[in-house]
Amino acid sequence: MIKVGIPRALYFYQYYPAWKTFFEKLGAEAVVSPPTNKVILDSGNLRAVAETCLPVKVFFGHVISLVDKCDYMFIPAIRSLGRKAYHCSKFLGLPDMTKAVVPECPPILDPEIDLNEGRRNLQKVIYSLGRHFTSDKGEIKKAAEEARKANLAYRSKMSDEKITPVQAIDGAHRDKEELDFDPDITPTLSLAVIGHPYVIYDDYINHRLISRLEAMGARVFTQEMAPQEALEIAMARLIGKPHWSFEVDVIGAGEYYLEAKVDGMISVAVFGCGPDSMMIDVVRHRAREFKAPFLHLSLDEHTSEGGLVTRLEAFLDMVKRKKKECPLITSPYLSGDGRERICV
Amino acid sequence: MRVGIPHFGNVYIPVKAMGQRLGASDKELIIPPPTSQRTLNLGVKYSPVEACLPFKLTLGNLIEACELGADTLIQARGTGICRLGYYAREQEQILHDLGYDAHFITLDVSHHKFAGILQLIKRMCNDAPWPKIISTFRFGMGKLFALDKIEKVVQKTRAVELEKGRANQIYREAIKAIDEATEGKEVKRATKEYVGKLNRVPKNPKADPVKVSIVGEIFVVLDPFANMDIELELGKLGVEVRRTMSLSRWVKYSLFLNPLGIDEWKEVHKVAMPYLKRDVGGDGWESVGEKIVHAREGYDGIIHLAPFTCMPEIVAQNIMPSTKEDIPVLAVLCDEQMARPGMITRLEAFVDLLKFRRKRGRI
Repeated sequence: MIKVGIPRALYFYQYYPAWKTFFEKLGAEAVVSPPTNKVILDSGNLRAVAETCLPVKVFFGHVISLVDKCDYMFIPAIRSLGRKAYHCSKFLGLPDMTKAVVPECPPILDPEIDLNEGRRNLQKVIYSLGRHFTSDKGEIKKAAEEARKANLAYRSKMSDEKITPVQAIDGAHRDKEELDFDPDITPTLSLAVIGHPYVIYDDYINHRLISRLEAMGARVFTQEMAPQEALEIAMARLIGKPHWSFEVDVIGAGEYYLEAKVDGMISVAVFGCGPDSMMIDVVRHRAREFKAPFLHLSLDEHTSEGGLVTRLEAFLDMVKRKKKECPLITSPYLSGDGRERICV
Repeated sequence: MRVGIPHFGNVYIPVKAMGQRLGASDKELIIPPPTSQRTLNLGVKYSPVEACLPFKLTLGNLIEACELGADTLIQARGTGICRLGYYAREQEQILHDLGYDAHFITLDVSHHKFAGILQLIKRMCNDAPWPKIISTFRFGMGKLFALDKIEKVVQKTRAVELEKGRANQIYREAIKAIDEATEGKEVKRATKEYVGKLNRVPKNPKADPVKVSIVGEIFVVLDPFANMDIELELGKLGVEVRRTMSLSRWVKYSLFLNPLGIDEWKEVHKVAMPYLKRDVGGDGWESVGEKIVHAREGYDGIIHLAPFTCMPEIVAQNIMPSTKEDIPVLAVLCDEQMARPGMITRLEAFVDLLKFRRKRGRI
């Protein structure tokens, strides 16, 4: 059986069920790399140019971990996933960068996905991808259709059950016991976490951010938990036509949850992310207008867990205080109106 | 309407010339003061931290233009992958927060370029008749081509001149003369005069300078402030700088020849194909291709300029070491933290390496 390697990084979190279905229907086996760990991060980090962003370094690490476990490596070059909206250069250069950085990589399947070119082009790309496994056009078409259905089912599962992609793919969260997670804890705060899926769901690079917030008593909302159309409407209202395909993940989700009046918002980005340097600023500006507490976390391979936890704790304290609508601590000499001054 | 523009190399000269031709006073066309440390500080202070250097510099220019009273600002815009498409939107927001109520006009640099630029000029000058606009445009472009022509000679002269700094002095005089010229004929005369002067600069007859090609992201390659005058510094070290990229070339091809189906980068893209199959936005594809082309053409080294966190150039940087052609590449990342002495040290070490390689090759 032909084995196709799928690195657990970047677009894995959004499209894995579709990819898996497609390859399995064509009689191939999808081999996924293990969740990111130190070895994976370090091996990718060693090979890439220093300025490369963390998710791409992690991606190289995943590719290296799959090198002798598969016959093909599946690395699509994504140019565009929406009309006149494009992707970051690194997604386009990904297959070629992998070839340069990991020369021992097995043959790369690199379909170029560009929805601007129309449906017909996409079909052609899918056929030429499927031809590696079968010469039967009908079978490829069927597999693609199944993959599309799997993707829709995956999306609606996440938005109906309000779960994250990791929970939808792997079942329950892995790390809850480790963090003394009390299953009976009732969340008292609602927090929206926005950012690229490959940053907020990779528990190694963000130090288990979501489980940590849940353990601290917050109900976490991410973009998958909202209907896609609602996110797109929210984004269109704020900025009109998007420039990048993933603007809906950041600006759309940010605007949607700010309007939904969450108690606080955390944006997570990696250091040196080009698109995020612009997009996060739009959301930050909006949060200021909504007077919503906003925390921006910039991650890189050096981020220490301790520093992150302290910042999260401080932020949650602030959100809790704001939620109780207490005035801030003021000097007794300045305020003579008898308001309660201190509360926790 | 008071129009302000950001700086980008010598672009202000043709723009100013066109403005004057169309009868705009200094109040109507505001050229901000030359990019300075203050410009950079302003840009850095008000930009998102991780924005790229061109964003910060142009924002600084626009703030300075607003301080002089500009209410309409021109900014480039490209469709596609790079951050450029976001510049105008984000800068408008920042200026608005600063209390400047400026209106942005974006100039699309990836589609309908020629018609777009002419229409923009027409809009700016209250519908002047087309013949006048076209002759104005020709005049402006004449200045641009003249500047680039002189610059090419300067790059060669700097490396071999006996009295260091002479060529650069003439170059500065030439820029001033071309800037002040009011007629097409005057521009031509000044070009001829200064090219002649440069050719007469005393040169070291035995000099055989190392040849370095500069590739990378167009803004930092062409803006001397952004790249800390890297060409001048290389000239001082006795290096002949050559670069394919220039504004006049960009204008020539993308406005006139690309619509006719002539692609100046065709050869470069073809040789880049085995390593990078597709356009990754910005100038990433060209950087990879140019490395290979220049290695084959017998250059001694390549200097790859990119703004810090530039996405297309990071792709190029990752791919460049894997090419078969063996040529040293020095990657210089430009940002607000860059300091001139640090850069000069790196250049000196790089040039030593190139000279050593040359010697080894001859033995």
